[in-house]
Amino acid sequence: MTTKINKRDLIALGLAGAAAAAFPASALAQAAKAGAKPQEDIVFGASVPLSGVFAFAGIGIDAGIKDYLTILNEGGGVKGRKVKYIAEDTAYKVDQSMAVFKRITSQNKVNLYYADSTGFVKAVNPEVDRMGSILMTGASFAREISNADKYPLQFMVGPDYSEMVGILLQYIAKTKPGAKVALVYSDTEFGRDPVEAARNGMKSLGLVLATEIVTAPGSVDVSAEIVKLRRADPDFTIFHGYVSAPIPEFITQAKSLGLKSQFMGTFWTMDNSTVMKMGPAADGFLGVMPYRYYYDTEGKSPMLEKIRKMRPEYQSTGYMQGFLAAMLLTEAARRALEAGNELNGKNLKIALSSIRNFDTGGIIGVPLSIKGNSIPIGRIYKADFKQQKMVPASDWIDLTRR
Amino acid sequence: MRIGSAKQSYGADAALFDSRTQKAWALLGVAALAAFPFIASEYWLYLACLVSINIASAMGLNILTGYTGLVSLGQAAFMGLGGYTAAILQLRYGTPLLLNLFCGGVVATVAGVLVGLPSLRVKGLYLAIATIAAGVMAHFLFAHLPALTGGPAGLSVPPARIFGVELDTSAKLYWVIVPITALLLLGAANLFRTRIGRAFIAIRDRDISAEVLGIPLLRYKLLSFAISSFYAGVAGGLFAYFFRAITPESFPLLMSIFFLAAVIVGGMGTVLGSVLGAVFMTLVPELLKLIVSALPLGGNATLVLSPVRTIVFGALIIVFLIFEPLGLAEMWRRTRRAFHLWPFRT
Repeated sequence: MTTKINKRDLIALGLAGAAAAAFPASALAQAAKAGAKPQEDIVFGASVPLSGVFAFAGIGIDAGIKDYLTILNEGGGVKGRKVKYIAEDTAYKVDQSMAVFKRITSQNKVNLYYADSTGFVKAVNPEVDRMGSILMTGASFAREISNADKYPLQFMVGPDYSEMVGILLQYIAKTKPGAKVALVYSDTEFGRDPVEAARNGMKSLGLVLATEIVTAPGSVDVSAEIVKLRRADPDFTIFHGYVSAPIPEFITQAKSLGLKSQFMGTFWTMDNSTVMKMGPAADGFLGVMPYRYYYDTEGKSPMLEKIRKMRPEYQSTGYMQGFLAAMLLTEAARRALEAGNELNGKNLKIALSSIRNFDTGGIIGVPLSIKGNSIPIGRIYKADFKQQKMVPASDWIDLTRR
Repeated sequence: MRIGSAKQSYGADAALFDSRTQKAWALLGVAALAAFPFIASEYWLYLACLVSINIASAMGLNILTGYTGLVSLGQAAFMGLGGYTAAILQLRYGTPLLLNLFCGGVVATVAGVLVGLPSLRVKGLYLAIATIAAGVMAHFLFAHLPALTGGPAGLSVPPARIFGVELDTSAKLYWVIVPITALLLLGAANLFRTRIGRAFIAIRDRDISAEVLGIPLLRYKLLSFAISSFYAGVAGGLFAYFFRAITPESFPLLMSIFFLAAVIVGGMGTVLGSVLGAVFMTLVPELLKLIVSALPLGGNATLVLSPVRTIVFGALIIVFLIFEPLGLAEMWRRTRRAFHLWPFRT
C-alpha cells in the first residue's frame, strides 16, 4: 500500500514545521522551567557590545567580568553560591541591548546586570525598577545616572563624566591656579554631558574658561577649530565625548602651530593603546583614570598581579572597568546574603551603599566608599611615549573629600 | 493569477481578500496574533512589539518610496518628531495615548509636507539628500531645544495608561502596538484600491505621463509625503512609549537606512513587502544570535562569532537582492503560486 501526500498534508506539515521553528527558545525555556531544580547560582547578565563601534571596549569589559567571576567562583563563589555569567552581543544598539536583556531575564532569575550604553540604561531603567530584582551597572558614566532618586537600582563604576572633568579641573587648579582652560567636546549627549558642570567647576576653582569648541563626533578636518583654539591660547585643553578622532588631529596641528596648551582627556580616551596610537605628538597627554593600568606596579595590587598571571598580555581600561563592575556587584550580593536578606534590587543597593573603605586589590589605588550612584575617585595619568605607557601624574583625587 | 478565482465585478477584482481561503488565512493570522501574548515569553513579546513598530514605519516609507517612487532618507527624523510629540504630550499634559500618537502623526505629517516640497523639482538621489538634510535639521532641533525636548539628554516617558491599566511591559503594550500596526497596514492596503493610491503608482511609473493623465504632481507627491510621514510619526510615538526614553540619538540616519533596506529587501510597492522586510531586518540578527548561542562551541565562540554574524547578515541581504531583486514579497508570491498550481510548475 502506498501513502500519498496531498497538498493539504503538505500545508499542514509546513505549518507545523514553521510553528515549531518559530518559538524554540520560549518552548525550551518553559520546558526547562518546568523540569529544572530551584536555581542556586546567582545569575549575572550582561548586554555587551562585542561587535560594532564600541567593540574595542566591550571585548575588554566582557573579559574583565569573566576573569573576576572565574577568580570568585574558584574561591567558592558568593557565600557558597556560584555566579553564572550570561552575556550576549548587542552591537552597541539600544534595541538589541534591550532584546538581550529581555531574553536573559525571561529565561533566568537575574540579580546582577551589566549594561552597555547610556541609551540602554535610560530605556531599561523603568523595567529594572518595575522588576525590582536587579542591581545594574554598566559602561555609562552619564551624569544623569548618578541621580540615585531617578536611577535607584543602578550605579556606575567610577566618577560620572562631570566628576571626571571635576578631577581634571582640581588637578589644573592645583598645578596652575587661575589657568585658562578650553573645552572641546562632541555634539552628542556623551560630549555635552559634563559641559555645564565644567563651567561651574571652573568658576568655583578660579579657572578661566578660554573657549568652548563643539565638533561633530569623529570629525577629521579640524582646521577651523584649531584657529579658534589658537586665538584662545589656553593653558589646558580638555577633550570629552570622543574616543580618539579628532584628538590626534587637534594635537598634531596645535603643536605644529606652536600652541603650548596641555591636552587632556576623559576615561574612554585613556586606554593605553588609544593614546599611543595618537602618535608622538601625544607625548605628555594627560587624562583622568579611575583605575590603575594593567602594568602599574606601584603599591600593593594583588588583583592586578592575578590579572597579569591570568593574562600575560596588556589588558585595556575597559577590562579593568568590567573587572571592577563584577567585583562590586558580587560584593553587594555577598553583603546582602550575609545580612540574611533576599537578593533583590533594593537589598542589593542597600548592601552596595554599605561599602566603606573597600579594598579593590589595587584596581583603584585608594580604599573606596560608595555613597551615591557614582564613585568620584580618579587619578591623572600622563602619556610617556618613550615607555609606551601611561604614568601617574598625580595622587588619587577623591572628590568627596574636597 | 490564481486558478479558479475568476472575477465577475470590479469590486471583486479590487477586493483585499479574493477567496475564502485567503479570508480563512487572514482570520487564522488574527487569531494567532491574539493568542501570541498568552504563549510567548517577554522576550518574544518584546520582539513582536519592536517588529510591529518597524513594520508601521517601513509601510510608511514603502508608500513614499515603493509606491510613489520618491526616495527618502528622512524616515527616522519623522519618527523622531512623532516620538518627541507623543512624549512631550504625555509628560506635560498626560493626554491619552491614542491622542498623543495621533498628534505625533500630525506633527510628522506637517514636517513631511514641508520636506516634500522640493520633490517636485528633484528626484532620486537628489531628493534623498534633501531628506537627509531634513533629518539633520530635526536632530538639531531635538538637541537644541532643551526646554521642550530635554536637549541632548532627551526625555524619559512615563508609561501610558488605558482604562486604568499602566502599559509598562511588552505584554501590555502588545495590545496597543500590534492592533495599531494592523490598522495602518489595512489603511495602506486600502489606499491602493483608491484613486489616490493609483495616482501614486502612476507618478512612480512615469511622472510626466501621470501629469498628462491629469494627476496634479505637487498635490499627490505632497500627499504621499504626508501619509508616509504620518505613519512614521505614529511609529515614532509607539517607539517612545515602547522604549520609554528618547534622545536625539534615538533617531539616527542609520535608522532611515534600516527602513530603506527593509523596504528594498521586503519588496518595493507591496504591503506584504513592508511586513516581510521589517520582519527580516529586525529578526534575522536575533535569529543568527540564537543560532550562534545554541551552537555547542563554548569558550570564546560568542566573542569570535559576533562580527561573523554581522557579516552573515550583510551577506544575506546581498544574496536576497541578487537572487530576488523584487524582494521577499515576490518570493512569498512564488511560493504561494507553487502551492496553487501544484503539481504543475509555474
